[in-house]
Amino acid sequence: MSSALVARAAFNRNVASALARRSLRPLAVQARGAADSAYVPGGPIYRGTVNDPTPFPPPSKTHGSYHWAFERLLSAGLVPLTVAAFATSGTNYPILDGLLGISLVMHSHIGFDSILVDYLHPRKFPFLGPAFTWLLRATTVGVLVGVYQFNTNDIGLTELIAKAWHA
Amino acid sequence: MYSTRAVGLAPAFRQAALRPRNVARNPVLRTLIAKRTVQTESLPPSAEQQILNQQRLRRPSSPHFTIYQPQLTWIGSIANRVTGAGLSVLLYGYALAYLVAPGTFDSTHVIEFIGGLPDALKYAGKAILAAPFAYHSWNGLRHLGWDLGKFLTLKGAYTSGYAVLAATAVSTVALVFM
Repeated sequence: MSSALVARAAFNRNVASALARRSLRPLAVQARGAADSAYVPGGPIYRGTVNDPTPFPPPSKTHGSYHWAFERLLSAGLVPLTVAAFATSGTNYPILDGLLGISLVMHSHIGFDSILVDYLHPRKFPFLGPAFTWLLRATTVGVLVGVYQFNTNDIGLTELIAKAWHA
Repeated sequence: MYSTRAVGLAPAFRQAALRPRNVARNPVLRTLIAKRTVQTESLPPSAEQQILNQQRLRRPSSPHFTIYQPQLTWIGSIANRVTGAGLSVLLYGYALAYLVAPGTFDSTHVIEFIGGLPDALKYAGKAILAAPFAYHSWNGLRHLGWDLGKFLTLKGAYTSGYAVLAATAVSTVALVFM
């Protein structure tokens, strides 16, 4: 057990010096040179040495408590929104239909984002994590445009589900 | 410590292994026995960390996720995520498909296509859509209850979990036959 710690301490000294003198190395070289990478198989990722504190993201209410509250309010609001939209009909209340569409897409986006944060965190996946996050954002923008087009040029989401259910 | 009484074939094997061999001196035998063709690589001492990490990456890890006893708590939790992700993938997929090809994916074509399916397939499709939606909705309410501080005991989690499963079953049947 202590030998593993000694090995990690020595490794991190190498990482610290390597990070200090490295400028902009291409990612392929970074991946190959395991002594330069910050990922120790099975271990946490150190920045600097074992004596440096774990870096945390700067505290911000927008990404913290406000995001949490917004997510819960959105989820709670989806219940009356869905019931109302299907109790009436999308053609009679197009604004309700549009609201439901936007809320559903936002709820889905937050859900997908949580999946990425859990399984592809940028701390452990420095390239794939941010890449998929931006891919998700682009896809959500496309979906919003698609939902708008569908609600404007076609019958709308609630009407489609209602009709398809009884087709 | 151990009694090293020589019995059986051990002494014979030992003698055979330690007997001096004249292979290297005998030119006929030397060509008969194939030379080892191992390539060796000269590395600096600093490469030890790299080799060690490469070995560590290849090592197997003990089963952990595959041996965790299935429980209502975590099965319910991952089911909430899977149902939510599945329904969202359908929503995203349809919206993008309509954006890319509005002629093929507009409502008339979709409703026509569904109408042309056999009855059994229609009911199966409705069940496949209704069950995840019902489960995700009821479990979502359970999550909101947790956020308000309710059901936060083991008994509360299990009671609410079973209630969600019962509500899902009833809702799915209701939605399919609506």
